[in-house]
Amino acid sequence: MALTILRNSQEMSETKEFVFEETKDYTGAKLGMWLFILSELLLFGGMFILYSAYRYKSPADFHHASKELDVILGTINTIILLTSSLSVAVCISAIQKGQRKLSMYLLMVTMVLGLLFLVNKGFEWGTKIEHGIYPNSPVLLARTKGEILFFGLYYVMTGLHGLHVLVGVCVLFVMLILIAKDKINRMHFTPLENSGLYWHLVDIIWIFLYPLFYLIT
Amino acid sequence: MKTEEESHVTAYRTYILVWVGLVILTGLTYTVAVGLQAEGWAVLVALAIAGTKSGLVLNYFMHLKSERLTIFKVIIPLVMAVFLVFILLTFSDLAFRGGAK
Repeated sequence: MALTILRNSQEMSETKEFVFEETKDYTGAKLGMWLFILSELLLFGGMFILYSAYRYKSPADFHHASKELDVILGTINTIILLTSSLSVAVCISAIQKGQRKLSMYLLMVTMVLGLLFLVNKGFEWGTKIEHGIYPNSPVLLARTKGEILFFGLYYVMTGLHGLHVLVGVCVLFVMLILIAKDKINRMHFTPLENSGLYWHLVDIIWIFLYPLFYLIT
Repeated sequence: MKTEEESHVTAYRTYILVWVGLVILTGLTYTVAVGLQAEGWAVLVALAIAGTKSGLVLNYFMHLKSERLTIFKVIIPLVMAVFLVFILLTFSDLAFRGGAK
């Protein structure tokens, strides 16, 4: 009798352990994502400080160099990223409401917008490189120190941001597959939510890059 | 612990309104920069608008507003404070460095 009780209690504790492992730490996962996002903000923050320091030292050079960037293309890209942020945010609400088709559609819209952003960026960089303006190019090195610094920072900061957009598109693609396989649904959507947080971070960084590079008056 | 199913669902309408706000603010940044051509304070206006836009994204798109746990509301200002210290140290160095320019 006592043995049976012991065995039963053992079985029960095993069952309990099983239940514990099935519980997903939703808050912990989200907090982890936030900590990563904050470290990313400081990574870009360091570069923003570098930018501010050099701009403070040679404001006229930064002004002249900025005039050469395509403001219209920069503004279009801003609108594209803002819209992609909207679509990914609505996509998460849709999955929470169980509207699977709508969320998949919106995720695809987000990815297309992200790729469109990169295509525009490619055209922008392409034009600059055609004009001989790229890091260490003879045309650029013949210019003033401040302008060399401006274009150096432009390539590094928009380049690193573009890399983040590319990674974001890949992550969203994985989420799309997971929704298609029903691994992400209205009961479990934390990976999608965390990917959304990452995408919004990329948007926030661009919100600052846009006026600082394209709109120096 | 809050489960996923219990988490806050934001209405589509709210998101769309926030997006409209963000687009209007982008237009405002553009107008201020291109239209006004004011040297000194233009950058401050641009940064203030960018700050407002990030606030909208953080609070609504990233759900900080509906987050119930205090830690989510504390970490952002904390990181911003650290960042501000970096900025102040860098610029105090630049401003008081003298001679070597």
